[in-house]
Amino acid sequence: MQVKIRKEIIKTELLIIGGGIAGLQAAITAGQEGTSVIVAEKADTRRSGSGANGNDHYMCYIPECHGDDFKRVISEINEGMEGGPWQDQIMLRKMMKRSYGIIQKWESYGIDMRPTGKWVFEGHAMPGRQRYHLKYDGQNQKAVLTQKALENGAQIMNKVFINEVLVNEEGRAVGAIGFSLAEDDSEVIIFQAKAVLLATAQAMRMYPHGNPTFIFNTHSCPAAAGGAAIGYRAGARLVNLDVPYIHAGVKGFARSGKATWIGVLSDIHGKPVGPFLTKPNRETGDAMMDIWPGIFGERLDNGTGPTYMNCTELSEEDLKYQEKAFESEGIDSITEYCEQRGIDLRKSMIEFGTYDYSLAQRGIDINLDGMTTVQGLYAAGICCGNVRGNITNASVWGDVVGEHSSEYVKQVEEFDISEHPLIKEKIDFYMELMTKKIGAHWLEVNSTLQRIMNDYVGLKVRSETLLTAGIKYLADLKRYSVSELKCENSHELMRTLEVLDLIDLAEAVALTAKNRQETRGNHKRVDFTYTNPLLNDKFQTIEKTKDGIKMAFRDKEK
Amino acid sequence: MPPVIDKAKCIKCEICAQICPLDVIRVEKKDQEREIVVKYPYECWHCRACIKECSSNAITMRYPLSHMMFYMDVPTADRSDCKCK
Repeated sequence: MQVKIRKEIIKTELLIIGGGIAGLQAAITAGQEGTSVIVAEKADTRRSGSGANGNDHYMCYIPECHGDDFKRVISEINEGMEGGPWQDQIMLRKMMKRSYGIIQKWESYGIDMRPTGKWVFEGHAMPGRQRYHLKYDGQNQKAVLTQKALENGAQIMNKVFINEVLVNEEGRAVGAIGFSLAEDDSEVIIFQAKAVLLATAQAMRMYPHGNPTFIFNTHSCPAAAGGAAIGYRAGARLVNLDVPYIHAGVKGFARSGKATWIGVLSDIHGKPVGPFLTKPNRETGDAMMDIWPGIFGERLDNGTGPTYMNCTELSEEDLKYQEKAFESEGIDSITEYCEQRGIDLRKSMIEFGTYDYSLAQRGIDINLDGMTTVQGLYAAGICCGNVRGNITNASVWGDVVGEHSSEYVKQVEEFDISEHPLIKEKIDFYMELMTKKIGAHWLEVNSTLQRIMNDYVGLKVRSETLLTAGIKYLADLKRYSVSELKCENSHELMRTLEVLDLIDLAEAVALTAKNRQETRGNHKRVDFTYTNPLLNDKFQTIEKTKDGIKMAFRDKEK
Repeated sequence: MPPVIDKAKCIKCEICAQICPLDVIRVEKKDQEREIVVKYPYECWHCRACIKECSSNAITMRYPLSHMMFYMDVPTADRSDCKCK
């Protein structure tokens, strides 16, 4: 197969990499400000990313519902899934203050934010506490946001994969390199931009999930290796890679959306395993999954499991309500699977499992304007590392970047990228990959990467010796991969570059895990079994500098 | 292979290939013909985007046994007299 090169350099003020929730919201807001915008999306923005088919709960603060005691709101959110020690509190406060504005915008765009006519808050909640997750019907959200972005002048380039951000000698982001997947032959496309936004999903295929024969069986969209790797190579500082994030849901068929289920977590006899619920509760769901997402794996390991999602005591009305919510959340595959195999939630419980480590909200370090440590390079959404909040995070920070970048692009001059040395280097590499006769398939590399990460940079135990070995094996894998990988077509070129992105990020995960010489959360060091109080209010960062890789512990609130 | 396209129903509009978030479905050119192929079934996320977008209901999903859901009946959950089903 060939690598073609589009002669014309595509110029824009704001280039957005990834047309998910964050990217589209940024495109809409920047477009409204009069900024010229291109969204480069490797799939199709109408159905791409983890919000591809919907969402049904959006964390937000609506003063008329939650009252004016904002301190209490923040305190309660910190007790739930989206809060806690890995959330930058200043970022959280800004995000929550702006969340109602996004809800109102989305409603005006045509997304059904109150299917019952009222603001309804359900799920991810503790009994007796206020609830902050707005129950909405997001099944058309991507199509609506796409249409709105187009209406506001954004140009959307689907089937375009971006591999690198171009940074000039002053350290400013000035463009990007990617290629079209539309045909089997790849067509390299060079972008020149005054500002670039990384708005990709998280890296999902770094650790094993589900069944090893199907590495795309992951709880969030498995498409992404993540903009975090692109940002890292461009010099952006990453944060919080070292403390694993774990999620939970249906065992075997990995899928996010645990709060869309409204049953009770139960043992094999149908008896509740947690203290919060004895009967199903639509309003709160079973908070056990948020407080202890490792419950499923740990109960298997200690022999008290399995643990099931028990919906057998739901009323017929609640069962229908839950089924509708699966559609809104975009997880109706679960419903179809159950129908095809004759599983009736009225009489059967579904086993839930703890999913393996993912890099959700572990990634790029951004400031209050959404800018990374590289001038003109922004990031938003789940590829960021110092702000949590899933769809709230994506939409709010997309909006923030849309506003700020529109001001920024007025203050900087265009930079001619035509002679940028990375362009030739990357094109040569793509050509080498696409013309090699014999070589390695990307899946060989991805499966070995998962084995290394599981065994040496894993969840159950970490130590100096394991991590040292893991770092060495990752370097070997990278060296072999760069020299041996080959691709048959543009699709395989995408997957190949994704797996190289994953290795870059995996190295950063392993290095920071080794550098954190304490035990904290799911980072369990057998050689440092205590938690060091001096690191309580710190985030660990890693960045590539001219002097090499630099790791540091920074104050949580900058 | 996860998405199964019924060629008798397919009108070759190519929306499934365009929309698939994982690029599982591709359009292949053979001579002058364009053929829709489920080319990368092992990369399917089973998200049903293709089914939702297909205007001619030509696509069904086969859920592979690698994605088998484990379940257990609850003896006390007897809904045999339920009239709501």
